[in-house]
Amino acid sequence: MSQQEPLEVKGLRKQINRGKNSLAKQFHLVRKSRMKLWQNALYILIGVVVALAIGAAILTSLDISAIDYYSDMFTIGLVGNAYPERAIENFLVSYVPLLITSLALALSFKMRFWNIGGEGQFLIGALTSAVIAIKFPGLNPYLMLLLMSVVAMLCSGVTGLAIARLKTKYNTNETLATLMINYIALYVVTFFGETKADWNFFLRTDSERPKFTSFTKMPFVEIGDFHLQISVLVTLLIATGIWFYLRYTKQGYEISVIGDSRRTATYAGMNVKRITLRTMFTSAALIGLAGAFTASSSGCISTNITNNVGWTGIIVAWLSKLSIPGIVLSSFLITILQFGCRSASSLYPSIDSHFADLLQGLILFAVLAADFFANYKVVRIMSAGEKQEEQHEDKKEVES
Amino acid sequence: MRSILKKMLGVALAASLCLGAVACKKKDSKSDFKVGAIYINSQNDTSGYTYAHHKGITTAMEAAGLSVKDDLIIVDNVPEDDEAVRAAIDTLAGKGCKIIFGISFGYINAMDAAAKDYPDIIFSHGTGYLSNDTNFNNYFGRIYQARYLAGIAAGYKSLELGNNNIGYVSAYGTEYAETCSGINAFTLGCLSVNKDATVHVYELNTWGDIEKERQAAQILIDTYGCCVIAQHCDSAQPQLVAAEKGFFGCGYNSDMAVDAPSAHLTAPVWNWNVYYQLAIETARDDAKNFMSKVGNYYGGLKENFVDISPLTENVPAPAATAIATARELMVKGEWDVFSGVALSFDASGNMTKSDVALVTNDGTEIVAAGGASVEDGVITGSMNYFVAGVIQEQ
Amino acid sequence: MSDSEYAIELRHISKHFGSVVANKDINLTLRKGEILALLGENGSGKTTLMNMLSGIYKPDAGSIYIDGEKTLISSPEDALKAGIGMVHQHFKLINVFSAADNILIGSSKGSETHALLRKSRYSQVNQIIHDFGFELDSRKIVANMSVSEKQTLEIVKVLYYGAKTIILDEPTAVLTVQETRKLFEVLKKMKEQGHSIIIITHKLNEVMEISDRVAILRKGQYITTVNTSETTEKELTELMMGRKVDLEIERPIVEKTAPVLEIRNLSVKSDEGNIALDDVSFYLRGGEILGVAGIAGSGQKELCEAMAGLRKIERGVVLHKGENIAGASPEEIIAKGVTMSFVPEDRLGMGLAPSLSIADNVILKKYKQSKGFLLDKKRGAREAQEIIDKLEIVAPSVETPVRKLSGGNVQKVLLGREIAIDPNVIVTAYPVRGLDINSSYAVYDILNQQKKTGVGILFVGEDLDVMLALCDKIMVLCHGKLMGVVHASKASKEEIGLMMTGALNTVHQKRGKTAGIAKDSAIVEDEIIYQEEEVNV
Repeated sequence: MSQQEPLEVKGLRKQINRGKNSLAKQFHLVRKSRMKLWQNALYILIGVVVALAIGAAILTSLDISAIDYYSDMFTIGLVGNAYPERAIENFLVSYVPLLITSLALALSFKMRFWNIGGEGQFLIGALTSAVIAIKFPGLNPYLMLLLMSVVAMLCSGVTGLAIARLKTKYNTNETLATLMINYIALYVVTFFGETKADWNFFLRTDSERPKFTSFTKMPFVEIGDFHLQISVLVTLLIATGIWFYLRYTKQGYEISVIGDSRRTATYAGMNVKRITLRTMFTSAALIGLAGAFTASSSGCISTNITNNVGWTGIIVAWLSKLSIPGIVLSSFLITILQFGCRSASSLYPSIDSHFADLLQGLILFAVLAADFFANYKVVRIMSAGEKQEEQHEDKKEVES
Repeated sequence: MRSILKKMLGVALAASLCLGAVACKKKDSKSDFKVGAIYINSQNDTSGYTYAHHKGITTAMEAAGLSVKDDLIIVDNVPEDDEAVRAAIDTLAGKGCKIIFGISFGYINAMDAAAKDYPDIIFSHGTGYLSNDTNFNNYFGRIYQARYLAGIAAGYKSLELGNNNIGYVSAYGTEYAETCSGINAFTLGCLSVNKDATVHVYELNTWGDIEKERQAAQILIDTYGCCVIAQHCDSAQPQLVAAEKGFFGCGYNSDMAVDAPSAHLTAPVWNWNVYYQLAIETARDDAKNFMSKVGNYYGGLKENFVDISPLTENVPAPAATAIATARELMVKGEWDVFSGVALSFDASGNMTKSDVALVTNDGTEIVAAGGASVEDGVITGSMNYFVAGVIQEQ
Repeated sequence: MSDSEYAIELRHISKHFGSVVANKDINLTLRKGEILALLGENGSGKTTLMNMLSGIYKPDAGSIYIDGEKTLISSPEDALKAGIGMVHQHFKLINVFSAADNILIGSSKGSETHALLRKSRYSQVNQIIHDFGFELDSRKIVANMSVSEKQTLEIVKVLYYGAKTIILDEPTAVLTVQETRKLFEVLKKMKEQGHSIIIITHKLNEVMEISDRVAILRKGQYITTVNTSETTEKELTELMMGRKVDLEIERPIVEKTAPVLEIRNLSVKSDEGNIALDDVSFYLRGGEILGVAGIAGSGQKELCEAMAGLRKIERGVVLHKGENIAGASPEEIIAKGVTMSFVPEDRLGMGLAPSLSIADNVILKKYKQSKGFLLDKKRGAREAQEIIDKLEIVAPSVETPVRKLSGGNVQKVLLGREIAIDPNVIVTAYPVRGLDINSSYAVYDILNQQKKTGVGILFVGEDLDVMLALCDKIMVLCHGKLMGVVHASKASKEEIGLMMTGALNTVHQKRGKTAGIAKDSAIVEDEIIYQEEEVNV
């Protein structure tokens, strides 16, 4: 029963119903009966088309061919590209951290642990892995990548563990704690990036101005001209692994039960605290791994190294409703949007990369709106009084 | 879960629809020579660092007969992150750029690495210090020379007002040789006219905080009694504050007489187009000899790469004569700012040269009396001291 | 005053929620000065219909006549102006305000703004209270009120605003027998003073006692209205269900075993840190159903949670087949092989994971039994199918999320799972709450089946009639204290009602035998002393 209860649009109703005798017209939001998948997809499609149409209107007003722009955007600038393999490589390099971070966030969100500290955990991973890369430059590149990953996962994971411990022990608000770690991590990285001193091995020694030093990049598999970074393969394995973990393992099952009802989990004999700690460690460690991968693939760190994946990952996770295949796909599409938009904007002096953000916002908004209208409809309902009035009038007509 | 998949498929479908309709249609280009640029801020900025470079590149391209609309490819808002810069370079390379300018110092690692991977593309890095023999140079300018000239104008104004306190709002102090040399050159310019002048420096520790820039100017005027406010920061706020309080100032980057006509004296400005035209034309016509013809570029008054904006009516008359004299010496290469020879100007603008040691404000001698100018590397890289006459207030 | 016979007349009222028809073409009349009982199963549309009268919903079609005049009710304020007041099941009171302030806060309009500040407000409200014969102090703060007082306050509130028609939504659900009786007296007095009353209830005996006429709804449709004096409970049930039903609750006689569960001197704190259970002792034998009666919040929830290991036990012993499990975590209790099934009060919030499938919920308590890292999904699906078949659960498949099932089916999944582990103790709290009659009887059957196999069942209930019929013994709690244990076949509702309010305490009255302590107890007295000493240290 409660499922079908309408959300009364109270404000709307109040406005319309001013005055007792006004013949009120009511608007309700009514939950639709379940839609078929293709219908749902159609709504999303319409939403995206509307967003693209608004974007096209803006482009046209700037005297830019929307068709050219969109074709360049959706092909991530591959058509007519002198180095298409580089474009794909760079695409993957942005895709990998977003995917891992979104997956890791989904893991904690699934348990209703609001880890919004993706940025911070990413930076911790990047910074600590950079220590390995800088301090042991002579290592075998595979060994180095492994070592960087392990260190980053441990350091970031321990941060997550500490926050989870605060939560389980003192019931602190994990949202605030993870959020604050974001800023702490950012300022730590900024400190190392701006402090010129002999002990500061993070900086280039030949530069008068402070600048992070470079280190060996991660190894790649050569496929013709195309360089497939190891991280891409590992990431796909991780995605499959997490999907399997959540779906088929006892631990994944525990996460689902806790996310659904903490008390049910306790009643079933689950050690909710231990599972919270374990899951948050995994989540933070994976985000740290994304940080290590990014540091390793660019061979350098910076304060901008996260590319906001800690935030974008939250959007991806929610947009996909925490479904793992959904995250793989939607982070892919969001990367296309980000990457493609940047590539397309470069061609037009009148458009800067902010247009990419605008378009991305439009599309995300449209997808969310479409999702809403796929589940709800707005109906206008004649009130009892109105109907009565109409009937009354009918009668009069008959009488006359 | 599956519904999400479908939704995503929907998005993909929309994408492919748009694609299918237009896949074969591409923008025609009129010339094969394309210029690439990587900006730290937005190309649509209307003031500031990125704006100055963007204006320089577009002016240069028009002068070189290239179409800005078709031949200039820009990736903007690129943070100083190697990954992001590398992606921008790859994008520009993919679009067929033959020369790529990177305007921000932090692009250095990525440009250095990319120069090796793209031997056919020329990489030109603003404010940097790395280069190679074939396709990677750096460029910067002797803005200190222009600052010296602005200092002369400020010195005459302080004499006229009978107030020896001059303020200087600077993004950074001794941390960056660029800001440090600017403060020193301006101070030496002031001292050449008014031996008793003191330059009060207020450091902001940021490149872009309009509110701080405004507050700094107010403090310099209210607390330290400064009558002229010079600046090394992006916005015109210090000039506006000077105008509001009835005092005077020297802007930076653009002729800020537009912003504060009642206060402005003159401003050191960059003519980035001078370098960009040279670089673009050389890259287009004789790319193989780019490094020998252009090399690491460090232009000054001589090349007209730096200059000061026209003196306003607020500048006392003799300053024009003095500035012309000093400029001529520097253009001819007979004298430079950071040397053991000091210029001094009298009340009517007549110059006398004398051998005076260059000394820091804590008394350390940098150049002995009569000694030659310090090396360019010091000015661009390692200068980390203030000359006598500078007081660091914040 | 118009001379219409009816206070309220509903004509052709319909209401849809999406594709669900809540009310369809309902015609209903309420005479002036009568008490009309509105009878129907859960989901028959009683509350929706009344919500339309009180302005919370608006009908999709049809019209409402008040005193013979067509009236549009589009908000609760409109309803009040039309003289209709509703007392909801969940009280809408501000805890920190006094009774008078709770009443007057709604009147903060125009010149009445200062009513809240006047000292005379208390006497003003007291006047109304006395006029109707209520017992309530207008200065009392809501937080300090009993449930019954809060309900009285709600009624006074609607009377204060001049309601001539009062709708009460299941008012007796939260009351003791004595309180119910008192309420009915007040209602009769109100009726004498010319008020019209609609009372929503599903307790047939109350319908017979208080109402003049009974209107019956079934599946959103109006069936008929009958005069109470001309009908019987059986007839009403048949009208309500649409077919004949046997209302008898079976109480099979089973040979009882030694106590499977003994609770001795149990003390537990509530979430707020108050004493929720105070030195409670009782025992449960195999093959019996022990009812737990008490006003809501008398410690029932805490008792169940303490036994399942979900709540810290401050003091006392929980002996399960001779082994003390007090202080063990749920994990340890399950690991010890103690099979104590707990069907919690809040089914979806505690017993089940609502978004997960039936299969995943069925495996919940034994997912750790399979070896290795992986979840035994096949076992979950197999056992879920068995439960679905055995208990006739209506569900599309074992993969259906539990939250999509109806209340009765949800309860069956939960019971089915708990029974599947072959427990020797089942603890259930309000297992039929929110279920319709059919589902309720199905639940009673399931419990009786278990009882026959020798399981001891602790049944925390709220309907005394049901408990008296189903349980073998009933223990009564009041403010966390045990008031006594009575044999259901010998006890009366009145006796239990007195114990629920604390007016009657039988624990120490029976000569030579303390209630709640078995003759053949497995607890050695030394052990208890040991426990107490430990606590004192």
